[in-house]
Amino acid sequence: MLAGLAVTLSAVAVYAGYTIIQLRALRQLQAETIDRNRTDSLLLLRIQNDLNSVDLAMRDMLDNGEPYPLTAWQAQFARLRVDLEDAVSRETQFSPAARADAQRQYLSASVAQFWDALDRIFVLARTDESEARTRIRISLQARQAALSTAVARLLVQNNDNEKQAAAQTRQIYARGERNVYLFLAAILIVLLATGLYLVQYNRRMFEQVAALSERRSELAQQLIAMRENTFRSISRELHDEFGQILTAIGAMLQRAGRRASAVESPLCADLKEVQEIVQSTLDKVRTLSQALHPAALDEAGLEVALQQHLPVFQKQTGIQIAYESSGAGPALDQSVAIHVYRVVQEALNNVARHSKSARAAVRLRYTADCMVLEVEDGGVGMANSGSGTGMGLVSMRERAELVHGNLELLPSESGGVLVRLTVPLAPQEAHV
Amino acid sequence: MKRRDFLLAGAALPLRASGLGFSLADVTASAGIRFEHNSGAFGAKYLPETLGPGCAFLDYDGDGWLDILLVNGMDWPGHTRRRTTLQLYRNNRNGTFTDVTQQAGLAVEMYGMGVAVADYDNDGFPDVLVTAVGQNRLFRNTGAGRFIDVTEKAGLGGRSAFSTSALWFDFDRDGLLDLFVCNYVKWAPEHDVFCSVDGKRKSYCTPEAYRGATCWLFRNRGNGTFEDVTARSGIFDTSSKSLGVAMLDCDRDGWPDLIVANDTQPNKLYRNRRDGTFEDVAVRAGVAFSEDGKARAGMGIDVADLDGSGAQSIAITNFDGEMMALYQPGAGGAYKDAALSSGVGQPSQNTLGFGCLFFDAGLDGHLDLFAANGHIDETARNLPGKTGYAQAPHLFLNNGRGQFRDVARQAGAAFASPKVARGAAAGDFDNDGDVDLLVTTNQGPACLYRNDVTSGNRSLRLHLRGTRSNRDAIGAVARITTAEGRQSRMVKGGSSYLSQSELALTFGLGRLPRAERLVIEWPSGRVDEHGPLTAGAYECVEGNKPVRR
Repeated sequence: MLAGLAVTLSAVAVYAGYTIIQLRALRQLQAETIDRNRTDSLLLLRIQNDLNSVDLAMRDMLDNGEPYPLTAWQAQFARLRVDLEDAVSRETQFSPAARADAQRQYLSASVAQFWDALDRIFVLARTDESEARTRIRISLQARQAALSTAVARLLVQNNDNEKQAAAQTRQIYARGERNVYLFLAAILIVLLATGLYLVQYNRRMFEQVAALSERRSELAQQLIAMRENTFRSISRELHDEFGQILTAIGAMLQRAGRRASAVESPLCADLKEVQEIVQSTLDKVRTLSQALHPAALDEAGLEVALQQHLPVFQKQTGIQIAYESSGAGPALDQSVAIHVYRVVQEALNNVARHSKSARAAVRLRYTADCMVLEVEDGGVGMANSGSGTGMGLVSMRERAELVHGNLELLPSESGGVLVRLTVPLAPQEAHV
Repeated sequence: MKRRDFLLAGAALPLRASGLGFSLADVTASAGIRFEHNSGAFGAKYLPETLGPGCAFLDYDGDGWLDILLVNGMDWPGHTRRRTTLQLYRNNRNGTFTDVTQQAGLAVEMYGMGVAVADYDNDGFPDVLVTAVGQNRLFRNTGAGRFIDVTEKAGLGGRSAFSTSALWFDFDRDGLLDLFVCNYVKWAPEHDVFCSVDGKRKSYCTPEAYRGATCWLFRNRGNGTFEDVTARSGIFDTSSKSLGVAMLDCDRDGWPDLIVANDTQPNKLYRNRRDGTFEDVAVRAGVAFSEDGKARAGMGIDVADLDGSGAQSIAITNFDGEMMALYQPGAGGAYKDAALSSGVGQPSQNTLGFGCLFFDAGLDGHLDLFAANGHIDETARNLPGKTGYAQAPHLFLNNGRGQFRDVARQAGAAFASPKVARGAAAGDFDNDGDVDLLVTTNQGPACLYRNDVTSGNRSLRLHLRGTRSNRDAIGAVARITTAEGRQSRMVKGGSSYLSQSELALTFGLGRLPRAERLVIEWPSGRVDEHGPLTAGAYECVEGNKPVRR
């Protein structure tokens, strides 16, 4: 993953660097060649325009059609001179780098010579207009024509330069276009490879998570099963061994008491007291045995066990339990019945702890293929009970899985909680 | 009433409900102006036929009421059908005019183009220069209701040219009005060239077909004669093809400069160098070309201080497809064409403008811009995307924040009706305090539009009279300060196209009762300052307090 990211970032960095280099080359070409060439061409056109105006003014001078001396044109030429010299100066500044120095100097030198010649002609015109006109004809017009030709030649050169620059620009654009495509292809490949890798990686992760979850579930179920076995064993031991012993002690004490009552009354009172303690202990042992594993479950089945447990719960908590049973089904295997019984116990404990309800209902019904047990309270509901998803709920779910059943926690119509356990009646045994 | 009469009568009604606070009513017929321009067109399609005529508001008899002078062409030699002359209409002071051409001695047949009016001899009566194809004519006002042709005597004779606009101004500030004349191209009937759009039939040539001609500058010697200082002053330029000229003070040094609108050639901005010579700074100032560097077909021109800062903006009408120019002054003496951003460019994109002038139509204190439009090519009505041969004028209303919108339609139906308009002049012919318009059309009538300000806005009208300065005070700048800001106006000759507006200055005061302060900078250099002036018309004599007229 990191390697893919590094490759992608490197590719982007390399491409960005390359693009910047290409753009700089293009900018340089544009600034140094194309823009400069274009500016130069515009200035050459301005020079050409001024030279045309010079030509027209000379023609007007030679036409002799104005009632003014030749020197009247001095102001007109002065305006042209300002513009022409400014244009030539700028043209020198913007002329393409490739232009030879000699060529660059030729234009400015020729323009300077032209103005020098014109100045001399204006001086001459003050004394000899006819000779001045002759010099305009034979010399000045020729100079103007030569300048005009030189400017035209420079314009042609600029045009060639522009064509070359345009070709270079096209090449740069073509290279850039090709590189964009290559870059896009490379990015696509990297993205594809990274995507595939991520898919595989995630799949492995999910498999590991699933295996861990299954393992954890197995462990939890084993733990529950082990606990039930232990409880059942301890319960049996308490009932069978300690119960028998205490019963025997009680019988012996009763017999001793009968004998003692005839001899000495204080001993009789002591024996009576010990006998009561033994009886009390026996009751506690029986209660503990019943709590660890209800014997009725093994002996009379789930319904009887429930019928025995519910009054005890009602008495202990003060919550009125309405029990309903409907339908009939095959007797549940003991390994299944204990988990259903425990779910009922846990659900009722939750009612007592969290529901703040004074009433609850326990419904047991059988359908053709499953047994459904519901515990519903009329309390405040899960959202307001302040109870989180504690170990009780986890335990209930695990037990439901142990019996291949399904546990649902639903809001009841009265606003409380409905715990529904559905157990299939197929001949499957729980993991006990 | 016939349907046509009904429609015409309806068109003549001003739109009272326009919401502009003013309307421009066509009162040509009721005023008795019956003028028909004669271009002499007989089918040869000579270039000058498309360009005239001009017009002027002037008070030739000095009675305080503006009269009207209309320039006319004539039939070409060899194709004479009728006699047409200049027409002078005397104001009857009741909204009507009387044709006094004959009595005034102006029934002169000439191929007239434009007119410039000023009292060049400082005798108190306005004289008239009429530009023409051929010989321009200078008519001196005798003061007795007559004009005398003094062209030859003044030294202006012997010059044949295709002159267009002209203006009087005192470029050397000697108190004598000098004369600047625009010339268009070197053209003569005998050298007319064949131009054609379809290769078969002759059409009117564009100016590219002809060589340019230099403008002229004549210095007033003060003895009734003029000296040609064209070459000496640096004005001489054979590349120009000039149609409009306006005076301004672009560098605000108190010396009058000139801006010349050239057709297909760069405009010229001649800065007065104060030594009798001028320097063309148009390129440097950014007014020679359009923003994209193109020399446009400049026609009419006017300048005005639009924001009260004292710096003058320049409006130039151009060919269709070129939009009008509105050069606004910036830093360092450079101008920027703000036509598009100000709202003038887009509406004028497809119109061909000629006469243009700034005036405060609604007297709200903001100068508005009027442009008279009309194509030169009669076949333009058939060209797709063109607005036709006859075109509606523009009346750009200034909102005082540098933005204009064309309200010609709202100002009056007859006013906004399409025309082949050329010259345009402004003046308060009915002395009601607002500025009316006079427009000429090519091969058509002259139109007089009476401005009716209905908003209750007031004005301050100043008639300046120089004593040390030239009597017309041309070149004087009046600045007023009101509770709402400052305004300035220059007394100008020329401007617009072939035409001359009145010389009196009109300041819109809005609802304000008065201007708090008036400063007049006279061409002589004298500066007069005056206290509060209530709305109305005043006679301001150099060195004296304003007197209510």
